[in-house]
Amino acid sequence: MVSRLILSRIVTALITLLAVSVFIFWASEVLPGDIAARVLGRFATEEGKQVFRERLHLDKPVYERYWLWLQGTVHGDFGVSLVNQRQVWDVIAPKLRNTLLLGCYAFVLYVPISVLLATLSAVFRERWPDTLISFFTLLGLSAPEFVLGTGLLITLGVAIPIFPVMSLIELAKTPFETIRTLTLPAITLAIVMAVYAIRMLRGSLIEVLDSEYVRMATLKGLPRYRVVLWHALPNALVPTLNVTALNLAYLVGGVVVVEQVFAYPGLGSLLVGAIFVRDAPVIEAIALIASGIYILANLFADLMGVLLNPRLRTS
Amino acid sequence: MASSTVVSNQSIIARLFGRLARIRYLPTSLSVGAIILAVYFLTALTSSFWVPYEYSQVGIGPPFSQPSLEHLFGTDQLGRDVFSRVVNGTDKELFLALTSTLIALTGGGLLGLLSGLVGGWFDEILMRMFDALISIPLLIFALLVMAAAGPDLSGNLVLLMAVVAIVYMPRIARMARATALDLLTRDFVTVARTRGESIWSIVWRELAPNASGVLLVEFGVRAGYAPILIGSLGFLGFGARPPIPEWGLMVSENRAAIVSAPAAVLAPALALAGLVIGLNLFTDGLARVLGRQVQRGGI
Repeated sequence: MVSRLILSRIVTALITLLAVSVFIFWASEVLPGDIAARVLGRFATEEGKQVFRERLHLDKPVYERYWLWLQGTVHGDFGVSLVNQRQVWDVIAPKLRNTLLLGCYAFVLYVPISVLLATLSAVFRERWPDTLISFFTLLGLSAPEFVLGTGLLITLGVAIPIFPVMSLIELAKTPFETIRTLTLPAITLAIVMAVYAIRMLRGSLIEVLDSEYVRMATLKGLPRYRVVLWHALPNALVPTLNVTALNLAYLVGGVVVVEQVFAYPGLGSLLVGAIFVRDAPVIEAIALIASGIYILANLFADLMGVLLNPRLRTS
Repeated sequence: MASSTVVSNQSIIARLFGRLARIRYLPTSLSVGAIILAVYFLTALTSSFWVPYEYSQVGIGPPFSQPSLEHLFGTDQLGRDVFSRVVNGTDKELFLALTSTLIALTGGGLLGLLSGLVGGWFDEILMRMFDALISIPLLIFALLVMAAAGPDLSGNLVLLMAVVAIVYMPRIARMARATALDLLTRDFVTVARTRGESIWSIVWRELAPNASGVLLVEFGVRAGYAPILIGSLGFLGFGARPPIPEWGLMVSENRAAIVSAPAAVLAPALALAGLVIGLNLFTDGLARVLGRQVQRGGI
């Protein structure tokens, strides 16, 4: 029963990814005018354009081009960049590594921030720490990433220059320097993710703290910190897993703006640049990778829900 | 229709005022949000009477001068008064955010309700399509649509609104469909069907009024995110074009002087954050009055 449910979710995710790939291809290649004229410029000869079209299969009908592109993509061949004729994968790979590094760091910061603040908020419910924290989560919820990033830049980069203003990771020689350059963008991402998790975890923690077994543990004479950390928190964390997976999905899009704020050479910056020069193969590859991660994270959240729900597990 | 007394036939506005009249105290979030929004709307409506300079007037002061009594937030690269530009941007920001969300709500809401009501293949295909569109991260989706529109249209404010509406529509439609499926189990829809009402009449006269509470809260949540989306696109260089005083664009323009003149960056950034805070607080309060949950996250 459960395995069939899981299998059907995975198949649905694959179909969704396929549909996404159709849309991405359509949006980046079919709509705008003559790609050959755009890339080669106004002074290109007709023969030159013809050679270019043949090499990119632009002389073939749309569905055939899509099929060729899809075949290549499945085999890990994203084609050739229109701008510098390099393999798209070679262009993307180092940026993808940088973005994954940033994402992991942000995630490492995100978990303790959310758990700590949500616990404080729930334990001191309706008192000043809770009010203060909920005020700041509202602030974090309402500030766009570029506002939050710029704010951090002004305070921790300019006013108190602890961190560099630009996150040029190539210049960092030692691991310590790498961490230093990554910290500001990572904190920005972590805060944006944490605000959702804090609200969610606070709610579920309050629910658990009001439950019978926690009251029982308190009546048994256990110290408060033990009740909260050992009895309440682990159970309250379960519903938050879903938000965390959704946050991972958010990370994929949010990273575009944050990388731009800190001039970080990642996938997001590459995407923005590729759209400016209309480098279709690069745009397609990045959009597909981003959507793939997004779908994977959502699938993960979904499966987590299935596996953690005892009713679905046993029936 | 006696069995459907739970669902009132009053319009959402009448119901809202009814609830507001009965409620003992207003949620703090509603009143604070309303005050913040009132400030923004007043600024938008009256700014032309009291704003000191035109937003495109260059060379009013030296480039990137410090804040002074004359130039409250200093000047930008072209010597334009930042205070005037922030104030002049208010009406554009409000108009862009609210109009695009309204378009998305109307389109997505009707499509979702219709899809839920009609069911079958129509529903299946439409929802699979929308699921695929939702699976592209929001901002990347918006950038793709911008790229598809081509360079000739870049900076076009109508395109910007269309992009926000397109990005929102599948998400709102999903939500509306879920509401429709819930409403379909109620008697009054069955009665309407038996009476032989047309599909549009059921959508418009039975489903839409009863889904209005959900859709109103959804509108608030989306409208609260719209300035972030519009500002982010402007910041990345895909939204409004200079010299339009769009706040996201201003942040990116003035970032060059983040060290020497931080006020020129902070002012538009805080104006944008303030607007979103106002919208979010108002929505939270409204949802509380209507007895509904606000779901954010996973955007």
